[in-house]
Amino acid sequence: MAENTGLARPGRATRYMRNKRRMDNLSGYLFLAPAMSGYLLFIFGPIVLSAVLSFFNYSLIQAPKFVGLGNFQRMFKDSLVSNSFVNTFKFLLILVPIHCVLGLVLAFMVSRTRRLQSAYRTAIYFPSIVTTASVAIAWAYLFSTDTGVINYFLRFMGGSNVKWLTDPVMAYVTIALFSFWKFIGTTFLYYYIGLKNIPETYYEAAQIDGASTMRTFFSVTLPLLTPTAFFVVVTNVIGVFQIFDEPFLLTNGGPGSATRTVALEIYERAFLQTKIGYGATISFTLFLIILAVTIFQFMGQKKWVTYDYE
Amino acid sequence: MKKRKIPALLLNLFLFVLSVVMLAPFLWILATSLRLPNDSFKLPPSFIPTTFHWQNYRDVFTTFPFFDCIMNSVKVAVFSVGFNLIVSTMAGFAFARIPFKGRSFVFLAFLAGMMVPTQATLIPTYIVMSKIGLVGTHWSLILPAIISPLNIFFIRQFMMTIPDSYEEAATIDGAGRFRIYWQVFVPMSTSVIIMTSLLTFLSTWNSFLQPLVYLSKWEMMTLPLGLKTLSGMRNTGSVSVVLAGVTVSLVVPTLLYAFGHNYILQGSVMSGLKS
Repeated sequence: MAENTGLARPGRATRYMRNKRRMDNLSGYLFLAPAMSGYLLFIFGPIVLSAVLSFFNYSLIQAPKFVGLGNFQRMFKDSLVSNSFVNTFKFLLILVPIHCVLGLVLAFMVSRTRRLQSAYRTAIYFPSIVTTASVAIAWAYLFSTDTGVINYFLRFMGGSNVKWLTDPVMAYVTIALFSFWKFIGTTFLYYYIGLKNIPETYYEAAQIDGASTMRTFFSVTLPLLTPTAFFVVVTNVIGVFQIFDEPFLLTNGGPGSATRTVALEIYERAFLQTKIGYGATISFTLFLIILAVTIFQFMGQKKWVTYDYE
Repeated sequence: MKKRKIPALLLNLFLFVLSVVMLAPFLWILATSLRLPNDSFKLPPSFIPTTFHWQNYRDVFTTFPFFDCIMNSVKVAVFSVGFNLIVSTMAGFAFARIPFKGRSFVFLAFLAGMMVPTQATLIPTYIVMSKIGLVGTHWSLILPAIISPLNIFFIRQFMMTIPDSYEEAATIDGAGRFRIYWQVFVPMSTSVIIMTSLLTFLSTWNSFLQPLVYLSKWEMMTLPLGLKTLSGMRNTGSVSVVLAGVTVSLVVPTLLYAFGHNYILQGSVMSGLKS
């Protein structure tokens, strides 16, 4: 009765609900406070600050000087910067298919084996957890033209020396090979886990229907794995846009500037030449491109990702 | 039956060869790190140690503050994991179990944080670190590592699968939210916590760009940066000594893998990765 008038004292139940809601809001945000501060300080804040910085010239020593769109105008005319964007797109076109497709193929193959499954899994996954810098140093020796082990085997089999690190085209092949070896384990594991999550009954049903392995893969496994594949593609694209370690450690962007990526360019401009404002301009542009591409992928996911099997 | 056996054999053969190729570089690193420095480049290469020149391992520790680098890496990784896991489990708990206002919006904002490239946050963070005098210290690496949207996501996914009855029972026993979090949810989430800890440890242990930007003194460097500096200085010299350092740097990830690979698998199977 009291509740109906809306004016009288709220009933015990409503008061309880209201208190609970208030408590939920309070404790929710209290639990979130540390993460929220981290997020604001190290992700959101810096992005806003780098947007602001891209309108300034700044060298850490002198006070920032407002230059309007000057940095952006300069960037569009800077052939080194556009070259670095082109190179990054090349890496996207090479590396994303390698990791997203071969990771799946290998995961499927390994999941079909019996006794040696965990050994294969370890061999494929293990390189992805070791220190990139350490193994890249070792691979640079393996790839070296005259004294490298890889060319030794090529010569042994009757071939001739390949300039793995010093030829502008081969440098991409080299980085792709290294990237496969070093990082295929990451996407492999995501797919492998996705495969493990598919209930055995689906396979049994396919077997009863007499479907072949290939048929089962394309009609049962693949559709059920599209959410994993979507996650893998999105994170991979974001990752390759930022590719730094591999070209820095193997070719240092070379030969010439053949493998200089946007991330290398930003590092060089912002930290080696201390053109902080200009570096921020390039990095904020990179962020906008990643944002646009990711939104685009989320918009397109309805076309090929099926979430409705549960 | 016969028809099936041949593909299985081919499959195993292929995977066996691939596994050998994947592991061969590690054998070469180990075998070469034990060669006499003058023979580093001598061909044919060996994949099984033929000589045992342990002096290389002593050299890498004496010609260069290698031990400091190891300790720096341990320090940065341990502190990063510790802080990150406190922050991530609290946030994951809030997102999974507390129906506060604006929850889905805040969660989405956190997930969007995964899109932000390291380079874009690195520049402003560097400026702030330099203003408060943390450039060159390990805090410049630890502080930004406390926040990881992916870890929060994993932990939330896992905590959402814990049945309500546990929470209800604890509430009836008079436990407040914090006690429910600390004494019920954290202990029940061990597998996902171990998984995210391992992955965070490895990613800080292996991180290269941040140390490269923030650290310039040898005795402050982390292991990957120290090794890169060492190899840069000895480009023509004794590769075996560098490879001895590389071998040592692989010990910790290997141990973590041996101890934790089941947790990585279990944890990610259970948190479902389905978004």
